[in-house]
Amino acid sequence: MADRLFASFLLIVTLAYAYIAWTLIQAPFQYDPLGPESWPRILAGAAIPCILYILWRPDAEPFAVTKYTWFRIALMVVLLFAYAELYEPLGFIISTILFGSIVALTLGAPRLGALAFGLGVGVFGYLLCFTLMGLNLPEGETVEAALEFFRGDAE
Amino acid sequence: MDAILSGLSTGFSVALDPFNLLLVMVGCFLGTLIGALPGLGPINGVAILLPIAYGLNFPPESALILLAGIYYGAEYGGRISSILLNVPGDASAVMTTLDGHPMALRGEAGKALSTSAVASFIGGTIAVVLMTLFGPLLASVAVGFSPANYVALMVFAFASLASLVGKSTVKTLLGALIGLMLATIGIDANTGVPRYTFGIPDLLAGIDFLIVVVGLFGMAELLHLVEQQVKGTLKSLPVDKSFVQAADIIKLRWTILRSSLIGFIIGVLPGTGASVASAVAYGTEKRLAGPEEAKSFGTGNIRGLAAPEAANNAAAGGAMVPMLTLGIPGSGTTAILLGALLMFNVQPGPLLFTQKPEIAWGLVASMYIGNVALLVINLPLVGLFARLLTIPHHYLTPLIAILAFIGIYTIVGNPHDLFLITALGVFGWFLRKLEFSLAPVILGFVLGSLFENNLRRALSISGGDWAILTEDWTSLVLYILAFAVVFAPIWLSRRARRAAAA
Repeated sequence: MADRLFASFLLIVTLAYAYIAWTLIQAPFQYDPLGPESWPRILAGAAIPCILYILWRPDAEPFAVTKYTWFRIALMVVLLFAYAELYEPLGFIISTILFGSIVALTLGAPRLGALAFGLGVGVFGYLLCFTLMGLNLPEGETVEAALEFFRGDAE
Repeated sequence: MDAILSGLSTGFSVALDPFNLLLVMVGCFLGTLIGALPGLGPINGVAILLPIAYGLNFPPESALILLAGIYYGAEYGGRISSILLNVPGDASAVMTTLDGHPMALRGEAGKALSTSAVASFIGGTIAVVLMTLFGPLLASVAVGFSPANYVALMVFAFASLASLVGKSTVKTLLGALIGLMLATIGIDANTGVPRYTFGIPDLLAGIDFLIVVVGLFGMAELLHLVEQQVKGTLKSLPVDKSFVQAADIIKLRWTILRSSLIGFIIGVLPGTGASVASAVAYGTEKRLAGPEEAKSFGTGNIRGLAAPEAANNAAAGGAMVPMLTLGIPGSGTTAILLGALLMFNVQPGPLLFTQKPEIAWGLVASMYIGNVALLVINLPLVGLFARLLTIPHHYLTPLIAILAFIGIYTIVGNPHDLFLITALGVFGWFLRKLEFSLAPVILGFVLGSLFENNLRRALSISGGDWAILTEDWTSLVLYILAFAVVFAPIWLSRRARRAAAA
């Protein structure tokens, strides 16, 4: 069932892919026998039979994911999106402390352990990457503003 | 022979540079660590650490030496969790659990670990020696390859991939096609026509290789860990004082030698890596053992432990051969390494050994050193790695995400890509759930432009006549091999079934 659903989805995508290859992709002029549209056409031509085969004969494996697992996966994806969203505004340190602690907590770490983990990775990770390895990580607008404020104060 | 010796000396002068030497050590250590963590195999480890290694702005040969060390170390470290926890790090370590874990249960964990370390060392070394001998030879043959030959070679690569990897041939093929289709996104280099960009400027240059790799492997692996999350921590067996004796190794010499050769040959075959090699070596050894001894396989037979370990490390080395000499990776992990080479503007292929000897030979020399380093690191420090096994998953999982984010952000510096890797992670998780293997996808993605360009070039040469593809003997032989590699297993299994029925 899951196989068929996924294959149907792939079929739609591949048909759209093929449609674009046959109608939209065109070189204004070309000297070569194969233009930019030929290769996508070949690929679509090879993929569609494969997908049809899966639709015709799906593997019998049931998609065994419990509701609870779905929930956990969904929660993880939401947390990841939140982490991505806050990465630049909050900066690496704060967003990592939050993300690390919350994920560790939701996955069943003890409270103090989770907090220590988040703090440790956030702060040491930043120091390690930024100072030692010279990698470019977001400082964070809020942090920057705060630093600016204190610096302004000192002057 | 002279060329090989002078090449090796160039290589060693690169690899013995103190900084590169340090990187080999660091890479091997990190790799062993990643390999030892249950559930994290070499491919995921290399995928997660690749962007970080790239972001460090090392010269290409140094970064590649580091990555190769990680790759190598991870193949090495996989046995630790297999033996002590009965949890293989990835498919290639599955065979190691069969006899390794029973040995540890019997109180011979130390012996099992040290035996497998020595077997891995011998397998790895044999592979590197063979690579030194045959790599340049293969390269010199491949220099004469025409675009049409390359097309045939690709067909062969995808055929052996489809027939030997994964459960379903059709799914493997479809996976490779998905990869190839992803690779067509972006501006067509020959004509400048945008394809599948939908007017989005970020897509004009195509989807970044790093994003695909980190998304499909790192992030999908993370979701897999969340799904599989085991309650409580895994129990690791203690490492005891038992140790491998020289007499054991001498007794195992033919096993190790055979398995190393099998591993190397399977590793060289495009598309098939360590997992197939270790399974074949184990099966061969079991068949050769005779009916009496075969019964003890799976209950802690030391031959059953040494064979897959020698084979998977030999395959890890063997998979580097087509990657370096033909530009066609021998496995999923080497596909990632190939992508890494391309990111450094190094085009692997037959000319690599002559045009960029410091990279090709430096990598080979670093593998000699890495092998020795791994043996030295692994024998005394195995207790330390064993303790790391018990890192609970609730810390490991967020750590993977954090490392992936650091890697992608430092390279691309664009927060949109953080969303993209997460989305690709979800896609990869679905593919995995539906028993698509992900290695073909990445292989297709990496080989996409090479495949297309050679096909177009071949047809330009012939003026549009498709007959050029089957015109010379090299191509024909490759097509016949491709045909054989797909249909021989089907035919053999039919015959076996008929024999069983009769």
